Amino acid sequence: MHMWKKTITILVILVIAGGAYGWYLYNKKPADIRKQTNCIELKATALAEAFNQDEAVANRLYVEKVLIVSGKVSNVQVDNAGHATVFLETGDPLSSITCGFYDDETGSVKKMVPGTIVRVKGNCTGKLVDVILNKCSLAE
Amino acid sequence: MKQYILLSAILLLAVTAFSQERYFTKNGHLSFEAGTDLEDINAVNNAATSVFDAGTGQIECAVLIKGFEFKRALMQEHFNENYMESDKYPKAIFKGKIINIDKVNFRKDGSYPLTIKGLLEIHGAKKEIETNGTMIIAGQAVSAHAEFTVLLADYNISVPGVVKDKISKTATVKINCIYSVLK
Repeated sequence: MHMWKKTITILVILVIAGGAYGWYLYNKKPADIRKQTNCIELKATALAEAFNQDEAVANRLYVEKVLIVSGKVSNVQVDNAGHATVFLETGDPLSSITCGFYDDETGSVKKMVPGTIVRVKGNCTGKLVDVILNKCSLAE
Repeated sequence: MKQYILLSAILLLAVTAFSQERYFTKNGHLSFEAGTDLEDINAVNNAATSVFDAGTGQIECAVLIKGFEFKRALMQEHFNENYMESDKYPKAIFKGKIINIDKVNFRKDGSYPLTIKGLLEIHGAKKEIETNGTMIIAGQAVSAHAEFTVLLADYNISVPGVVKDKISKTATVKINCIYSVLK
């Protein structure tokens, strides 16, 4: 094969590979937090305390990280659209850890009873009144 | 006679106390759409925090920018890093008033139109907005929803020329909250 033919073939392959990779990146879905293994495990009280003491430091430590938070369930809410939220006690009656669950985890949330201790795995997004986790599931 | 005056005073206090209850939610649903015919761009945040005072109509609502969930990872990354700069501006906050809160009868089931006016802060920029919404009273359940449009330029969110055909100049925001009494 002539040199120029080889060059064109390689270029075409590179363009196709680049395009396919770009298409893959463009359509890639957000990571499934349930499959993440690199997690930080701590108690609900400790997480709330960290944000109360220094929110900027806590943001750096925990936001956009996968956490496994253990604590006592204070409330469980499942709305008509099937969105399930579990609230964990922090020792402060005005604030809790708000855990928004994956929609297909609603079944496990419905079985939860306030007062029980659970381990929730989720993605920390920061603090408003509560420290908030989204994409949650019950930790195994 | 004194007994009637005392009873009336107690009833008045009870009614006043009832009408001045505060309601809150920590898992309100807030979504937005900012796409065009070429691209679907929408995201949802299921952890909006909101509180309102049934007596004065004062209302506040806040969301964490990093709490918005997109269908595509790259879109979510660009939203946080390039457009909203969520490390620098982690929250969007609305503080305002339900102007016609006095028209809502919290003791009578029904759907009540709302007019809401206040200051919306996104991306570090503040802008006065006014919108309409609806409050639904069904027994003990109190829910509210509203929809409004924001101009991205008002909040210093710039869209690069290369994607200007894919991203709308405005975002349509929908919020839906189920409130509980703040005890």
